[in-house]
Amino acid sequence: MSLVTRNVLLALLITFALVGTIAYAVNYLNDARIAELGAIEDQISIDTLSLDTQFSLLEAAPCDIAASSTGLIGTLTDLGTRLAYAESQLGTDNPQVLRLKQQYSLLEIRDYLITKQLAAACGTKPVTVLYFYSNAGDCADCDKAGYALSYLHDTYPSLRVYSFDYNLDLGALKTFIAITKVEGPLPAFVINGKRSYGFTSLADLEKQFPKGALATTTDTTL
Amino acid sequence: MSLEMFTYPFLFIAIFFESFVLVTLLSSPARAARARRAGATTLSVAVIVPCWNEAATVAATCDSLLALDYPSDKLEVILVDDGSTDATPAAMSRFAGHPQVRIIHKENGGKHTALNAGIALTSAEIIGCLDADSFVEPGALREIVPCFADENVAAVTAAMSVHKPKNILQHMQNAEYLFGITFRHAFASVNGLYVTPGPFSFYRHAVIQEIGNFRSGHQTEDMEMALRIQQAGYKIENAPHARVYTKSPRTVSKLLAQRTRWTVGFLRNILGEYRGLIGSRAHGVLGMLVLPLALTAVASGILIFSLMLFEIVRNIITMFEVRAGIPLSYTLLPHSSFSWFYLPASFYLLLGVTILLASLSLIVVGKYISKTPGNLALGLISYTFLYGLIAPLWLLRATADVALGKHRRWRH
Repeated sequence: MSLVTRNVLLALLITFALVGTIAYAVNYLNDARIAELGAIEDQISIDTLSLDTQFSLLEAAPCDIAASSTGLIGTLTDLGTRLAYAESQLGTDNPQVLRLKQQYSLLEIRDYLITKQLAAACGTKPVTVLYFYSNAGDCADCDKAGYALSYLHDTYPSLRVYSFDYNLDLGALKTFIAITKVEGPLPAFVINGKRSYGFTSLADLEKQFPKGALATTTDTTL
Repeated sequence: MSLEMFTYPFLFIAIFFESFVLVTLLSSPARAARARRAGATTLSVAVIVPCWNEAATVAATCDSLLALDYPSDKLEVILVDDGSTDATPAAMSRFAGHPQVRIIHKENGGKHTALNAGIALTSAEIIGCLDADSFVEPGALREIVPCFADENVAAVTAAMSVHKPKNILQHMQNAEYLFGITFRHAFASVNGLYVTPGPFSFYRHAVIQEIGNFRSGHQTEDMEMALRIQQAGYKIENAPHARVYTKSPRTVSKLLAQRTRWTVGFLRNILGEYRGLIGSRAHGVLGMLVLPLALTAVASGILIFSLMLFEIVRNIITMFEVRAGIPLSYTLLPHSSFSWFYLPASFYLLLGVTILLASLSLIVVGKYISKTPGNLALGLISYTFLYGLIAPLWLLRATADVALGKHRRWRH
């Protein structure tokens, strides 16, 4: 074997080793991301059980501010952000991402229902936004709507935003969509029970909110 | 399918190229070349300095040649004024009475004609060229001459770096030149060089007589001569310790003009008269590896830059569309928390980082091999952040010139 041939083979070996190491590192990092999402998911499951317990306690005790705060929305937002990032890295059709999205959607629905129940029991009027999007390429304005809602949520912490992938294959979500009577086109919003479709601008979206709902108060009441 | 996917083969080839350089550097021929000592061999040498409007530097260039550690009776310097219109003749006249210096004034005809005029005047065994904006270290020639001990060696190149880099662009070029020292040294050890640069390359006079004088070579006479030497079956060696410093362009426009000329010359020579060398097994590494890789580098530089530009523009447009109507006080602030979770470690990015780190390492190796003095920190920084943005511009321009048959005027 000539020196050059040997060098070419060695260089190829090094190249494959480097590329393989990089592929392994990327895969390892993505697995770690999934594991991290799983850890957050476990924490939310505990929080959800805690919510159930809180709700049971409320039936036997007077409604007060501290007891009626679920505190779950912050964690849900964090999980949502991480899930969106993982989706962009791993792909929208990644089985693990899809499974986590299903669990995340279930948790959102559960938090939404408990929030409504707590509001009825305690007589509070939380502002809730159900946001239905699609990343199947049939929603040109979904990115804009999502960013505007992030802005509103960060600016008005009392706002409770629940985002759902309209096309996600999940029985509970399909039932939820049927109950809320959201049909399309997307993006679609259900703001305190009132449906609206499409996104034009932040100002137009803000007009959909009940008067005085967008106040810069902290999330101390439901 | 992501657009990034199209770049993967090119990134793979880039890593392969750098790995090959590394492995070749560690092989016995390159180790032997580095261990080669400056010898006592003293063949007769003539160094030709072609000048066209080089009044500012020609005297210093000539002084550096006369300061070479080499027997004066074996070294002559031939200054060729190629019809300069500035004070070059006056600057040359300072050396008129010097016993080692001969001066030629001729009508303007191009650099290759100036070199040929010098060659016609000498009977020295070895003929060197030195651009009139370059300067040599005293020991450089003693590093060069021993390389001609092998009768099959027709040319020898030196270790070239930038003379006193001042601005960030020149530091970037210095880093690039040091990278060039590394791969020129590596490829010379397997006879894979296809250019003998203007600053301090040497030729065996007998071989020039055999294969012919310099030609225009699409304004890259040094590349054309090197390719002709390779085509004739001779070797081109490299002396990694023979340090030579050259002035480099100070502005982006001048740099683009220079590199466009080099790249156009490369493409026209390689795709024209010397097309037969590409893929030629008879020409070993040069034909099977170096030339195909060099052509791939041009294509990949353009492709990766175009895709990167497309992605950046698309992202900027999307960013503005998505953020339209949202207060700037919100859009300008980062909103995701700093966490390893958001580390943007994509396959594409990590491949790019690997290539960059390998390039920076080979730059440092070049400085180490040649023992080139000077601080490299600014060079590494500017190479990291600027080279990838500027180099594709001359690749694009040169490729367009070749495709459209456009000819730009250089010096004459």
